[in-house]
Amino acid sequence: MFDFEYYRPESIDELCEVFNRTKGSLVAGGTDVLPSLRRGQFSSASLIDISRLKELRFIRESGGKIEIGALTTHADLVTSPLLQQTAPSLVQAAATIGCPQTRQRGTLGGNLANASPAADSAPPLLTLAAELHLAGAGMARSMSLSDFFMGPGETCLKAGEYIRSVTFDRPFGRWGAAFEKLGKRNGMAIAIASAAAYLEIGDDGRLQNARLALGSVAPTPVLSPHAKACLEAKSPSPELFQQAGQAALEDIYPISDVRASAEYRQHIVPVLIRRTLEKAFKQAESRLE
Amino acid sequence: MTAELQIIGKSAPRKDSWAKVTGTAQYTADIPLKGLCYGTLVRSPHHHARIRWIDTSEARSLPGVEAVLTSQDVPGSKTFGPFVQDQPVLAIDEVHHQGEPVVLVVAKSKAAARQAAECVQVEYEPLPAVFDPVEALQPGQPRVHPEGNLLSSYEVSFNDVFAGFAQADVIVEEEFSVQRISPAYMEPENSLARWNLDDSLTVWVSSQKPFEDRKAIAEVLGLPLEKIQVIGAVIGGAFGGREDSSIAILTALAAWAIRGSVQIANTRQESFVAHPKRHPARLHLKVGARQDGTLLALQVIVHMNTGAFASYGPAVGQLLTEVMPGPYRIPNTYIQTNVVYTHSPYAGAMRGFGSPQAHFAMESCMDLLAERLGMDPLELRRKNILKPGDQVSTRVGVDEGARSLVHYLDAMQEARERFRKIPPSAGKVNGVGLALAIQTMGLGAKVPDDSSHRLEWLPDGQILIHLGAPDLGQGLATVSEQFVAEALGLPFEALVTAPIDTNTSPDGGVTCASRMTYLVGNAMLLAAERLKRGLLEKAASMLKLPEGQLAYDRGAVILPDGKRVPASEFASRAADEGDPICAEAMATFPYPEETTPQHLPIGMPHVKFGFAGQIVRVEVDPELGTVEVKDVLSLHDVGRVINRAALEGQIEGGVAMGIGYALYEDVAMKSNQRWVDSFTEYLLPTARDMPDHIEIQVLEIPEESGPYGAKGVAEISLVPTAPAIANAVYDAVKIRVKDLPITAEKLIRMLR
Amino acid sequence: MKTIQVQLDVNGRSYHLSTIAARTLLDVLREDLGLTGAKDACGGEGECGACTVLMDGAPVNSCMVLIGQADGHQIETIEGLSQNGQPHPIQKAFVEAGAVQCGYCTPGAVIASKALLDRVPRPDDDQIREALAGNLCRCTGYSKILAAVHIAAEEIHHDR
Repeated sequence: MFDFEYYRPESIDELCEVFNRTKGSLVAGGTDVLPSLRRGQFSSASLIDISRLKELRFIRESGGKIEIGALTTHADLVTSPLLQQTAPSLVQAAATIGCPQTRQRGTLGGNLANASPAADSAPPLLTLAAELHLAGAGMARSMSLSDFFMGPGETCLKAGEYIRSVTFDRPFGRWGAAFEKLGKRNGMAIAIASAAAYLEIGDDGRLQNARLALGSVAPTPVLSPHAKACLEAKSPSPELFQQAGQAALEDIYPISDVRASAEYRQHIVPVLIRRTLEKAFKQAESRLE
Repeated sequence: MTAELQIIGKSAPRKDSWAKVTGTAQYTADIPLKGLCYGTLVRSPHHHARIRWIDTSEARSLPGVEAVLTSQDVPGSKTFGPFVQDQPVLAIDEVHHQGEPVVLVVAKSKAAARQAAECVQVEYEPLPAVFDPVEALQPGQPRVHPEGNLLSSYEVSFNDVFAGFAQADVIVEEEFSVQRISPAYMEPENSLARWNLDDSLTVWVSSQKPFEDRKAIAEVLGLPLEKIQVIGAVIGGAFGGREDSSIAILTALAAWAIRGSVQIANTRQESFVAHPKRHPARLHLKVGARQDGTLLALQVIVHMNTGAFASYGPAVGQLLTEVMPGPYRIPNTYIQTNVVYTHSPYAGAMRGFGSPQAHFAMESCMDLLAERLGMDPLELRRKNILKPGDQVSTRVGVDEGARSLVHYLDAMQEARERFRKIPPSAGKVNGVGLALAIQTMGLGAKVPDDSSHRLEWLPDGQILIHLGAPDLGQGLATVSEQFVAEALGLPFEALVTAPIDTNTSPDGGVTCASRMTYLVGNAMLLAAERLKRGLLEKAASMLKLPEGQLAYDRGAVILPDGKRVPASEFASRAADEGDPICAEAMATFPYPEETTPQHLPIGMPHVKFGFAGQIVRVEVDPELGTVEVKDVLSLHDVGRVINRAALEGQIEGGVAMGIGYALYEDVAMKSNQRWVDSFTEYLLPTARDMPDHIEIQVLEIPEESGPYGAKGVAEISLVPTAPAIANAVYDAVKIRVKDLPITAEKLIRMLR
Repeated sequence: MKTIQVQLDVNGRSYHLSTIAARTLLDVLREDLGLTGAKDACGGEGECGACTVLMDGAPVNSCMVLIGQADGHQIETIEGLSQNGQPHPIQKAFVEAGAVQCGYCTPGAVIASKALLDRVPRPDDDQIREALAGNLCRCTGYSKILAAVHIAAEEIHHDR
């Protein structure tokens, strides 16, 4: 039911106070929370609106690390010159979320905390080896994004804890980062499956630090260690990318749902991976040292 | 018509557009009423169940609750329906589909109504359910209604199919299936009703049939017709889905019960499960031909899934039967259509009315046959298309309009060359496919198929059109104004159309069946002539001159000395005297007395036809199976273009619907045993899913009996689209998908 | 708290309201301010764009903005587009191009188009389709809506 107590903290301190007192649910852009409330998929006695916490909305760089505040909107991500430069796969992913209206409101933190297996921002961030920074009353901790997702809609956020920001190292050298998503139509598409790739071409011309992540084909967004192993220290080639796609099948656990069957997902994952790797590789090749 | 037309054929901008584009147009939910209460429905969660008991006591006791109604509270007829009155206003002792309304709660606020609805307790005894129309006819299947699951069955025979097949060199036999489609107009169903101090009822509803709604409400409430006024609000899209009185009836019941004002608005979720759909169907086709491509025999058995209630199922079944053979000359046909009840959301009128289903199967089959014969599918069609004077399977002859078919094939031949030369996007494969279509117009023989409208000369010289049938947003009011402006030689701006109101408007019948431009136009022209005479009569009487000495010209009466006196002189005087200059006219679809030696049920046959063709270019991703429609050429014979922009708008919208039908849309049952019920799962084409270009070519082969030669085109624009796309997909990757929608997943499964 | 006080700037006018917090900007616009141009077509799922308004110049689905989140912001709705009785070039273009059929999606589509043209003076077809991807239309197939945006772009640009 659409019925709740509403709180709107104006500062982090206020947030922590009300969060602990009410054990309410956070809402930022509302693009997941509101429809879920309406459908009775979850109910909460209290909603804590954190959209005013300007200190959580930023994109900046310091000490070779890019940091994105949790309240950064998808539209912010798409239009950020810094991210276009350092995380094109994240920018590509953000551009596919919903539609212009939802991208104006939906936030990175919300996308991650909602923890849909189809969360589009997750696969690129996983391949960038992103770290999540959590905060809450009297505590702060960081973790690798790959440790954050526990299951569909489940994260390791504790009571009273929220996402403060996401960081990743600025890539250097000859690197490429790409993202591909398949939906049932072009506009306003939820992923049937998505793939993100990050790789570097080493001085010897071989691949290094290659990371592959997938969305919508497991209970959570996942990295593919098998694909990584397949690519590491190898000479890039179409055949290699094909193999990596096949290898990734070991790391996915697709289900059948209203969008697609498990079999179809299994079929397209290698295709998406191969295409993403090709794009990332092309990008890497084009970078001069 | 040799004189140059002033406004017919021009893209006169619709006057209602201004209110819509400034946000001031009043759709039903926008109408402010004082003291408005809100109704909300408690709906069945079960597909099929007996109702053991209903406890409304807790709901009734909540603050703000004005009434909690069940079937027992319905004073008059407890069921309704346009053909069979099998649809309960509120469930009686059984529920027939998930989402069927059981209890109606009326409260002072939406929140109170929703809260009370949650407190209503209904004890159900779930019963076995059946969802497939073929299965539903097997012995031992659960019955949707006591009379059994076969609602109606139609058979049309033309000569002897067995003999035809015996002569055939090649026989193709295939099964096709099409899915459940929601009209998915942007405005969910809603209605407002107000009980008036004089014990009459005023109801506002977006409806295609306000006069029918009024009748239905009168029967349900046991009130005389004169006590009920139905006003048509601005309609947010209809497509056949608003040929259904359920929301108006429920709102009227609520207002009657509390003697106040009530609004009921379906949520989008409710609209998906509880309002009429396009019939899903299974079609089994067998077609036989000579090696040279001459069609010899066609046998089709169809099972249409009409869901829980009959609605317009019988009529849809009839039309499907009539157009099943497509626009072809087939000497031997046997078409059998079975309209079957199941425990699914009910199906009714929806744009195309049986034709989209029929043509998906037939036009896919034509390409299959062409391949078996080693023939170009275009040439196979050329060999068999109807010519003027040929008979269709109901033994009705087609007229000059059929000449358009040759033109379509020629145009599509040229377009096919063009489309094939377009390089596909990287990694994609091109495919080009085409389809033809025939659509009927009108309601069918022996069904009252007329439409009445009235014109009034206003004191200021403008003409007020009392349009008797609703403008659905497709521009009916605009073309009406164009007809009258042309006939009276007045500027387009001098016409104004009144909102439809059963108290004051003539009964124009239902806006449907691609019949409105034709009927409205004819009625307008006739009424315009009568209006001119009425003006001259009035002028003669006022000026004390013999009528014969006066003439009419472009909004003025010409006196014997040549002086022009504006009509407003006479119209204002007439209005002052309480007898405004008015003229009413009724136009009828011309059905001959005896149309066919075959005994056909009421509603068959149709006697007026439209034709269309579409050719599409698709790009298929052979690794992922995705299909995108990139180019479309759509060809139509319209008799005469009345409003070019409105015509194009109808066609472009039809193509969009056809693409949705082919590729994306499906009110399917999900794994959790619930129906698809949101736009997250029911995918309409967005602006990014449409072709880059929709080219339209229009032929004007005059329909002799039509106003300025015009005839209807509302429905046919979506009919060839799905088969053209299916044929294009086959052209691209040699995969024939025979059940809609064509999803990437189906393609991949078949490619492997 | 169950109720809140909000201040909204809607189409240049300031409104002060006391309201239940569990309501959206769309609810308040339609029910409290009588601005019924923005519509609910999808049940508040953000899937149709019929409720699109501009919030501080950016297009948002007002059905997904809690009223407390709109507090203190500038809202522009379809009703505010005309200036001194003069229709906005986008509104004129929609009418002239025949882009309005049933009209239910029109306010949202016009506002989304304005958001685009405010940022991109001469969008191409792809940019328009992208900008309108969140505005469903069941009547027009979008063709004339695209044409209208081009016409409006020309008119606005020409005047500059």
